[in-house]
Amino acid sequence: MATLSIKGVRKSFGSVEVLHNIDLELEDGGFLVLLGPSGCGKSTLLSIIAGLEPSSGGDVVIGERTVNDIHPKDRNIAMVFQSYALYPTMSVRRNIGFGLEMRRVDTSSREDAIGRAADLLQISHLLDRKPGQLSGGQRQRVAMGRAIVRNPDLFLFDEPLSNLDAKLRVEMRTEIKRLHDRLGTSVVYVTHDQVEAMTLGTKVAVMKGGVIQQLADPQTIYEQPANMFVAGFIGSPTMNFLNGTLENQDGKLVLHHGEETLELSGVAKGASAYVGKKVVAGIRPETFSKGAGPSALTGIVDVVEPTGPDTMVVLDVGGQMISARLGSRERPHPGEPMTLSVDTTALNLFDPETGDRI
Amino acid sequence: MTSNPQSIMASSRPLSTWDRINPARYIGELSETRFWMYLLLLPSALLIMGVVIYPTLYGFQLSFREMRLNRPDLGTDWVLLKHYQRMLSDQIFWISLRNTAVWVTAAVTIEFSVGLIAALALNRNLPGTKVLAVFILLPFFLPNVVAGHMWALMLDPRLGVINDLLVKVGLLGGYKAWFADPSTAMAAAIIVEAWHSFPFFTLLLLAGLKGIPTDLYKAADIDGAGSISQLRLITLPMLKTVIAAAVILRVIGLVNSPDLLLILTSGGPGRSTQVLSLYAFQTAYKDFNFGYAGALSVIMFILLMMFAWVYVRLSKVNQD
Amino acid sequence: MVEFEKVTRIGRVKYWEDEAMNKNFNRRSVLKIGAGLMAATALTPSLAFGQTANINYWHTFTSQSEFAGLEEVMKLFKAAHPDIVVTQENIPNPDFMAKITAAVLADSRPNVTMVSSERFADLLAMGALTDMTERLANWDKRSDFDDSRFDSITKDGKIYGLPAFSFVDWMYYRKDWFEEAGIAPPTTYAEMRDAAIAITDPSKGRYGFGLRGGPGGQNYINNVMEAFGSPVQQGDQIGLDRDKAIEGIAWFSGLLTQDKVVPPSAPNDGFRQVIEGFQTGQTGMIWHHTGSFQDIASKLEPGVEFGTLAMPAGPAARVARLAYAYNSITKDENADASWEWIKFWGEPDAAIAFLDKTGYFPASNSASADPRIADNPLYKPAAETLVFGRPQPSFPGLAGWLESVVLPAFQRALIGEATPEQAVDEMIDGLNQAIG
Repeated sequence: MATLSIKGVRKSFGSVEVLHNIDLELEDGGFLVLLGPSGCGKSTLLSIIAGLEPSSGGDVVIGERTVNDIHPKDRNIAMVFQSYALYPTMSVRRNIGFGLEMRRVDTSSREDAIGRAADLLQISHLLDRKPGQLSGGQRQRVAMGRAIVRNPDLFLFDEPLSNLDAKLRVEMRTEIKRLHDRLGTSVVYVTHDQVEAMTLGTKVAVMKGGVIQQLADPQTIYEQPANMFVAGFIGSPTMNFLNGTLENQDGKLVLHHGEETLELSGVAKGASAYVGKKVVAGIRPETFSKGAGPSALTGIVDVVEPTGPDTMVVLDVGGQMISARLGSRERPHPGEPMTLSVDTTALNLFDPETGDRI
Repeated sequence: MTSNPQSIMASSRPLSTWDRINPARYIGELSETRFWMYLLLLPSALLIMGVVIYPTLYGFQLSFREMRLNRPDLGTDWVLLKHYQRMLSDQIFWISLRNTAVWVTAAVTIEFSVGLIAALALNRNLPGTKVLAVFILLPFFLPNVVAGHMWALMLDPRLGVINDLLVKVGLLGGYKAWFADPSTAMAAAIIVEAWHSFPFFTLLLLAGLKGIPTDLYKAADIDGAGSISQLRLITLPMLKTVIAAAVILRVIGLVNSPDLLLILTSGGPGRSTQVLSLYAFQTAYKDFNFGYAGALSVIMFILLMMFAWVYVRLSKVNQD
Repeated sequence: MVEFEKVTRIGRVKYWEDEAMNKNFNRRSVLKIGAGLMAATALTPSLAFGQTANINYWHTFTSQSEFAGLEEVMKLFKAAHPDIVVTQENIPNPDFMAKITAAVLADSRPNVTMVSSERFADLLAMGALTDMTERLANWDKRSDFDDSRFDSITKDGKIYGLPAFSFVDWMYYRKDWFEEAGIAPPTTYAEMRDAAIAITDPSKGRYGFGLRGGPGGQNYINNVMEAFGSPVQQGDQIGLDRDKAIEGIAWFSGLLTQDKVVPPSAPNDGFRQVIEGFQTGQTGMIWHHTGSFQDIASKLEPGVEFGTLAMPAGPAARVARLAYAYNSITKDENADASWEWIKFWGEPDAAIAFLDKTGYFPASNSASADPRIADNPLYKPAAETLVFGRPQPSFPGLAGWLESVVLPAFQRALIGEATPEQAVDEMIDGLNQAIG
């Protein structure tokens, strides 16, 4: 059973359409991440799901109810805002219990629920403070406490971690993941951070320009990006895009890039239709390994960036810069020639005109 | 604090003759001491003393003296608490005090309520609100005197357009002399005052409303708070400081300015709209009794101070 | 007696040299000239204006007709004295005492100030006025003025002003209504009350009498008490005869509370409301002075729709005030020029011109004898009043007592909040405070 399904939702502000015909499904207990650059419509979509913003068309179904005309408070959802949106004049206790208070839950069961949520989030000692007296991470926990205390059908998170510093962000990310595992409630989570998307999501919808580019599990998104946008948006350092021409050489598909030739094996079946045409090869930095092979590129080492576990190497291959993630032991020197072999099974080919994956 | 700057300078290099007499050097040295701060404050302190404290103290001492401009024969001796004693048995003072309380409480209540409604409406940023805002703020830009005369004409028992309207819609049987009847004079004056000054609240509250993050209302929507609850539990608490400041300013303004009542009723009919400020004004400029007028002003001053103190206490604006 | 008119004009208007401009000046031209004048004064303090004297004149004129009269007098003065520039400044009556007090305390007085007799004592006591005895003694037109004209501006033998025009109390009545009802114009308070009852007809919105219970009404209240035998001042004696005063207040307030021959708006009616009430046919009689004649004649036809009468007699006295608007020197600087301006109001040409525009009677005998006045039957009651009329009382504190005690106390009686007894007791207490 799907917790959430979105059918043909559109949204326009005046003559500008910011969401085009969005279709989504989220299975019960799933964790859907709406991922995209700013302005892609992901937050608008979240607002429409929450009911804070009316859609211009289409249906939002939560559980088995179409909620298009249902007030946010009756959608049985809870939301965590980027700004946390804690009520500054109320104590943490009242903030957490506010939704219950408004629903006229009696005091003792309210206190119980607040206590449980606070225990879960380890904020029991903060209950009598005002939000102004809390740190960013503590506020974040309170905001989550306010969301979970009501036991909703669906959690909505709107970039909840972007106001935190890097270390705390990682901590809270883990916290959210743990919370989701423990509570099993479905989540829709908006972010522009691909790491959050990859680590948290059971399903990721990559959005751009009001359109879902790809909706899949994180692994698929990473390994088989639907198009060059998704491929480029996910992964750090980003995927290398190598322009070339596809040819059939002795019964094997090969990619010519300048003087380099990559032998392709195990790439998509549809590729043969592109023989003789220009294509773009998308190669993840970590699919390189040092040494020659049937599919290898040779270039001059430009920059070497040791990160500890890995060494990032930027290689100049006939004028095109290629990033490669090599083992930490590799320490080439800039200016040296270097040959890297490619694991072509992890390689993606894209149509340079449409940007779509072949 | 152990080393003194002079010794540092002296030890670093020998002083030339010019150094010894250079005024800039002395100022420079002075600026390193802790007295510098007070020296910098001195000009503004003197200005405040001259402009604020001196007149206030002068007013205070006036209230302990005989000072009747049209009676030079009485002299200007100290009379201690004579004026204050007179006040205790002065019927008009007590009537004025009561009327002041009614005038201020009713006017502030109406102005705040209407001002808040207007501010909430303007804060919705619906189309046309910019033009509407100008209209709503318009009364406040009118001088009190102009507003007073305008309303005196509109409420006129013979020519007044308001009487005309009320009779036409059937609310009134005949033209009413609003300011001639003690049961309506105060109410009519309060409505004029409220009409004139509610934009003051609109302006301040609107500024306060703009500072409330919209996310709070979204969160409250999801939490299930209706508009009344949102107003009561989010908007008003968030505006607490602005409200306190606005109310105190407005109360001070209302207690201190007699001009509107002077124009509309002169305190009449009878004493039904006599307020303290008007009484003090008349005592000073009709009776020329500046001593008693001074004592009345001192009482107003003390009452206002007490009000502000109690109000700030009760509204707990200092707490956060 | 000076009106406490509601403010209808605020601010200052400068009349300037050019006659054409006087006729149709506008604000811009006035501002332009004013700015130019300021610049010129700043640059050449004594050169260009070496032979020109600037004086400013504070007055409390209110109505259109009064402004027209002032304009006319200034025009004549300009022609006669091209070397003296008069800048007139209108001070609304309610603000007048506050403004002049502030001006005296801050030493920013006007050169010449219009002084009503009831304000004389207060202004003299605060040192605002200059002794003009000697100038008057040496003036060739002094004999045109009866000595009594100076009574209310004289203190300890010293004279502090020259009457510019007179306020002669009288009443206006609706001649057409009286004829219609077949009743004779009243000569006593009792007759007046009967007439008021006779012509009052609430169904037509008609009331017999336009009682002035709002700002400025205090003087009539005092007159009524005096007419019932309780003058507030008799020689050096200041005080009220309680019983007589109560009778007076009972009769006067009774016109509203008992007889209902007065519009219900009376407790708030000031000059404007009373005049408008009469002009618009709401009231059949009003008390005022000759100065409003032209204003009323602009709406009702004199001699046909309205007529004039001498003030009726009360049980003890017939009280009609003869008062004068004095012009007084209030600043030593340019005193000679100020004196020229003050004297000019005594010239028959100026006085008649002012009467033509307003209805205010001249203060000088030669002007009063002018056929334009003597032969006009509508002015006859005023001429009669000159015989029996009496001056305003005058002592320090009087104006304040009248305005801030007598008027509100009477209003309380009018609105039924106090009995006449209580109102009079309030007045007596207030009087003791004022003179104590």
